[in-house]
Amino acid sequence: MPAGTADVRDELRAVARDLLARGQASDGVPWRQLADSGWLGLEVPEELDGAGVTFAETAVVLEELGRAAASTGYLGAAVLAAGTLAALEPDGERDELLRRTASGTQVLTAALVDGTDDGLGGAVPFRLEDRPAGPRLRGHAGFVPDAAEAGLLLLLALDPAGTPVVVPLGAEAAGLTVIPQPVVDATRRFGLVRAEAVTLDGVAVLRFGGDPRAAVHRLLDRAAVAMACDSLGLAEAMLEATVAHARVREQFGRPIGSFQAVKHACADLLVQAAVSRQLVREAVRRMAEDDPEAGVAASMAKSYACAAAVQAAGTAMQLHGGMGYTWESGIHVYLKRATLNRSLFGSPAAHRRRLARRYT
Amino acid sequence: MAPRPAATGAAPSEPAAPEPAAPVAGAPVAAPAWPEDPAEFRAAVRDWCGGHVPAEWRRAQTGASEEEFAAFQKDWFQQLRRVGLAVPHWPREWGGGMSVAQQIVLYQELAARDAPRLVLAFVAIHHAASTLLVAGTGEQRRRHLPAILDGEIWVQGFSEPGAGSDLAALRATARREGDGYLVNGQKLWASGAVHADWCLLLARTDPHAPKRRGISYFLLDMRTPGIEVRPIRQATGSSHFCEIFLDDVLIPAANLVGPQDQGWRVAQETLGAERGMTMLELAERLGHVGFRWLAEACARPGPGGRRPIEDALVQDRLASLETEITGLRALCRDLVERHAAGRVGPADASIVKLYYSELLQRTMDFGVEIAGPGGQTVLEKPASSGWESGAWVLDFIGSWEWTIPGGTSEIQRTIIGERGLGLPREPMGD
Repeated sequence: MPAGTADVRDELRAVARDLLARGQASDGVPWRQLADSGWLGLEVPEELDGAGVTFAETAVVLEELGRAAASTGYLGAAVLAAGTLAALEPDGERDELLRRTASGTQVLTAALVDGTDDGLGGAVPFRLEDRPAGPRLRGHAGFVPDAAEAGLLLLLALDPAGTPVVVPLGAEAAGLTVIPQPVVDATRRFGLVRAEAVTLDGVAVLRFGGDPRAAVHRLLDRAAVAMACDSLGLAEAMLEATVAHARVREQFGRPIGSFQAVKHACADLLVQAAVSRQLVREAVRRMAEDDPEAGVAASMAKSYACAAAVQAAGTAMQLHGGMGYTWESGIHVYLKRATLNRSLFGSPAAHRRRLARRYT
Repeated sequence: MAPRPAATGAAPSEPAAPEPAAPVAGAPVAAPAWPEDPAEFRAAVRDWCGGHVPAEWRRAQTGASEEEFAAFQKDWFQQLRRVGLAVPHWPREWGGGMSVAQQIVLYQELAARDAPRLVLAFVAIHHAASTLLVAGTGEQRRRHLPAILDGEIWVQGFSEPGAGSDLAALRATARREGDGYLVNGQKLWASGAVHADWCLLLARTDPHAPKRRGISYFLLDMRTPGIEVRPIRQATGSSHFCEIFLDDVLIPAANLVGPQDQGWRVAQETLGAERGMTMLELAERLGHVGFRWLAEACARPGPGGRRPIEDALVQDRLASLETEITGLRALCRDLVERHAAGRVGPADASIVKLYYSELLQRTMDFGVEIAGPGGQTVLEKPASSGWESGAWVLDFIGSWEWTIPGGTSEIQRTIIGERGLGLPREPMGD
């Protein structure tokens, strides 16, 4: 089958759903399994041992991971790191890193935001300083996905000329600290990455292809759309679970799904999911085509789909009644993840603020 | 009944548009050769609109009498018809035949160029035509489809005082009498009935059958003796809806659509058929003129000189509405594309109707808020426009014309829950 077609995506979706349905994906999908699935290298060129497809395929995996509320290193490695590497000028070092990303032999992530701004400003987290003894790196990044697990971190930095560049650093580099940042959502792992006067002996500084500022914004948009994809899958899973429950759970001698109050709440979730799907589809298409105007679609998808997913998971908890509030039901896993997705890489309000800049 | 200009039989030459083929006597006007390629077609439609959308039509249609409204509508319809743009969704042999891709472009461009909407012909070209094409006899099609192109106006006579959401409870009767049916009853919410030449009528032919099985579907000539049309003044102050009183009205048996007592099924098959493309048109209108005016209203200095858009809260709500309208437009495009591919889900039309109508309402509500007290002084809205005209208060009030008719929002949610999600049905009579 030719790469990048709807058929391929359908097949990828079916395989992913099946694979994630085995075992308890929210307790963790082993790295080896992730690597063997080929998902880490979807966007890596074929000559570098990847699948050579686009973000449209990555989006399918992201939706399925959200649907399963899967705990994986996918966000750090395949979304952030592989996306960052792909945006760099091709060179031997970059190509080797892409190859190792695709094969899963290198566990890596990227630190792109400093954790203090709204995630959209492109405030670059690290600074590269020229020193007589050689270049030095300082700065900090927050909410770096899978940072504590990664052997290699791609740090987004401004070089002395103020141009964004990428510094690949081993986790054990002197002066670099990675502190786990535990969050309520147990399916995700983050770390605070701090660089204090890290000397860069023999470390290559990697440069972006094209306009570096635009490349950084595209990376942040990519991360935002990834959250929207995850939230879309999550919301659909919550709707399906709720409908399945409402069809069989009986009160007052009738399935609760026959009551309008319950039925109409489910109908609203279906409408929201349909709208989310359209906005996410458009954002994914534009990201995959490297459309320079993709930012608008990304902000729309991120703000709408991530908010809708919180609503879906919240409604699911409500309509499952007392059982929905228990730990055992697992709905809390989705609700927590939905709130995290909503706040990562730009809140809905931040994305709408960005949209609104076009009005004035 | 309003006077109307005679339909033009010949196609005058139209600058800036493809030349239509010369009409053959007795045959529908052949569609001119518009480009198949969507980009070229878009440019051609844009060009045509530039030369043909009447300048200042909104001003002329504001405060227009019923007669002026009807005359304007009929003239605009004939302009579109002459160049093959009035009924793009009809089959080619009846004067349509545009691809789905072309229709999408056409409605996008008409919306973007702020062309008048085909309000008066709406039921005729959509609902009547789909009824005739899906369930009509050859004779019925030959009688009415060309007539619709010539300006025949239709109205829908379905609802009754006691049959709104529960349409199947309708009580108008049609009793077999010689070579026809004798009809008695009352129809309600018949939109534009004062202008109508013909009516799509549901009436009960078997009072003893379960309520959905005893209904028949008729084509009723509105000139038949025994018909009285009374306009109803609506919440907006205008009188677009009507009551139709039927007192011993005789309908020839040849005007029955489908088998006797099978009218409910015919109505089900033909009701939703056009919803996709008509919703797409409305969504495009909301996306272009509707949102543009809202954004402009937000950017206009208020009484204190301050522009609403400088308020972060206003920015947030505007961005939220733009996002939702973008989602709606994509949803409609997706629906028509899947409709063409035969992949429409059982609740898809309801999802779009529900979402559009409530989003329209919320958007107009925000317009009212932004327009402030000054908005309250706009006492008239232009006829022939979409559901967003810039007369925010009247548009807001008028938006209930979307959340109530055609299946209320509550009915739509029930359909979505039951047909779309497979939730158990409510306990209901037959």
